[in-house]
Amino acid sequence: MMLASFGAATLASYLIVSGILLAIGIVGFLVRRNLIVMFLCTELMFQGAAIAFVAVGRYYLDYSGQVMVIFILTVAAAEAALALALVVFMHKQRDTLDPDVYGELAE
Amino acid sequence: MHGQVEHVKRSGKWLQKGGFRSILPHFLPPKCGFLFTLHPPQKVRYAYMDPVLPYLACLILALAIYTAIRPATLTFRIGAIVATVAAAGWLIGIVAGFLSSLEGDAATPFFIIFSLALIGAAVRMISHERPIYCALHFVLVVIASAGLLLLLEAEFMAFALIIVYAGAILITYMFVLMLANQAADPNEPEAMMSYDKIPREPAAAVGVGFLLLCVITGTVLHGTGQLPDQPKETNTWQTLEKLPKQFESSVLEFDATFAWPPQQNEQGVAIQIDNNSAYIISAEGVRLDLNPSMAPTNTQSVGWSLVNDFPVSLELAGVILLMAMLGAAVLARKAIDLSEREKQQAFTNEETQS
Repeated sequence: MMLASFGAATLASYLIVSGILLAIGIVGFLVRRNLIVMFLCTELMFQGAAIAFVAVGRYYLDYSGQVMVIFILTVAAAEAALALALVVFMHKQRDTLDPDVYGELAE
Repeated sequence: MHGQVEHVKRSGKWLQKGGFRSILPHFLPPKCGFLFTLHPPQKVRYAYMDPVLPYLACLILALAIYTAIRPATLTFRIGAIVATVAAAGWLIGIVAGFLSSLEGDAATPFFIIFSLALIGAAVRMISHERPIYCALHFVLVVIASAGLLLLLEAEFMAFALIIVYAGAILITYMFVLMLANQAADPNEPEAMMSYDKIPREPAAAVGVGFLLLCVITGTVLHGTGQLPDQPKETNTWQTLEKLPKQFESSVLEFDATFAWPPQQNEQGVAIQIDNNSAYIISAEGVRLDLNPSMAPTNTQSVGWSLVNDFPVSLELAGVILLMAMLGAAVLARKAIDLSEREKQQAFTNEETQS
C-alpha cells in the first residue's frame, strides 16, 4: 500500500489542532449560559478527541483509532438524546435555558 | 526485593538531580525536558526546545479567544476571531516546524485550510450570541474535521461523521433549539435572552483553557519525539488474509487462471511479504504479486477491527444506545389527565375494537 508520508511532525500538528479544539470546547462550556449551547460545546470536545484518535491511529497504521471514533459517535448520540430530553423537560418546568436558574434544584 | 531497592535508589538520585524541576520543567527554565514521564525517557530523538515561544503563542491565542467571547461589536469580534485563527496557525507552525526541522515532513496546504477553518468555526461557535448560529457553525466544524479525517485516510469515518453528526445529532439540537429557545420579548422577535448575551466569567474560563492548552502543547512538543517507532508496513494484508471470501474473489478477479487456494507457509499464512511487495504462491508454484487494488478498503478494515478487536465494546455501544432511547422516551413522555368519563370511553372503544 502506498501511503503518504506521515511522521512525527505531521502527527504533532494534528494533535495540536485537536488540543486547541478541546480547549475551545472547555472555554465554551464554561462561558456559555445556554444549556443547549453548553451541550454543543461538549460535542466540540468530542470532535477534538476524535481527531486525536484517528491521527495517532494513522501514525501507527492501526485501525483501532477509527473504531474509537465509532464509539465516540455512539456516546455523542446517546448524550444528545438524553441531554436534550432533559433540557426539554426542564424547559417545560421553568421556561428558561439559563443553568443558574436550576441551581436551586440542588437543595 | 533487590530491584525495588535499586528503583528507590535510582528515583532518589533522579529527584536530587531534578527535584521538582523534573515534575514542572515547562514552567521553569530548561535543563530537563521530561515533564510528562516520571522516568527519564528511554530515547530522545529530538533536541530540547525552549517552550517559551509555544507558550507565548498559547497566550496570544487565549487573549484572542477572550476578546472574541466578550460582548462587543461585530467587526471587533470578527477581528478577534481572525487573530485567534492566526495565533492557532502560528502555534501549529512553531511545533510542527520544530519537529519537521528534525525529521523533515511538513503539513499539506489542505491541512492548513481545514485546520484553520475548523478553529475559526469553533471560536465563532462559542462566541456567537444566537444558539441557532452556534449549531450552524458546529456543522462547519464537523465538515472541516471530516476534511482532516480524509487527509488522515479515514474515509469511512469522515463520511460517517458528516452523516451522523451534521445529519442526525445536529438536527436533534436544531429541533430542541427551536422548541425551547424563545425570544425574550414576544413583540420583538430579534431580542435575545440576557443569558445568551452575557458570558459567564470569561477571564476565568479562558485562564482554564490557557492552562490546558499549555499542557497539551508541552506534551505534544516533547512527547511526540519519544513515541515508539512507527511500524514499517501496514497490516492491510493480514486483514485480507482473515477475510477468505474477499481474498479469493479479489485474487480471481485479478487473475482468473490462478489455481485457488494458495500455498500456506508453516504458520498457516498465505500472503508473504518480501521487500515492499506482497505475494501468494499457488499450489502449482506460480507466484502472483498482490495488487494494491486487492487490498481491503478502509471501510472493510475498520469493520474488521470493530468486530474482531472490540466485540465487547460493540455490544456495550448497543446497550448504551438502547438505554439512551429508553431514557429519552421516559423523559419526554407526558402524562395526560383523563377524566373518569374519558377513561370509560377509551375502555369501551378498546373493547369494541377487540
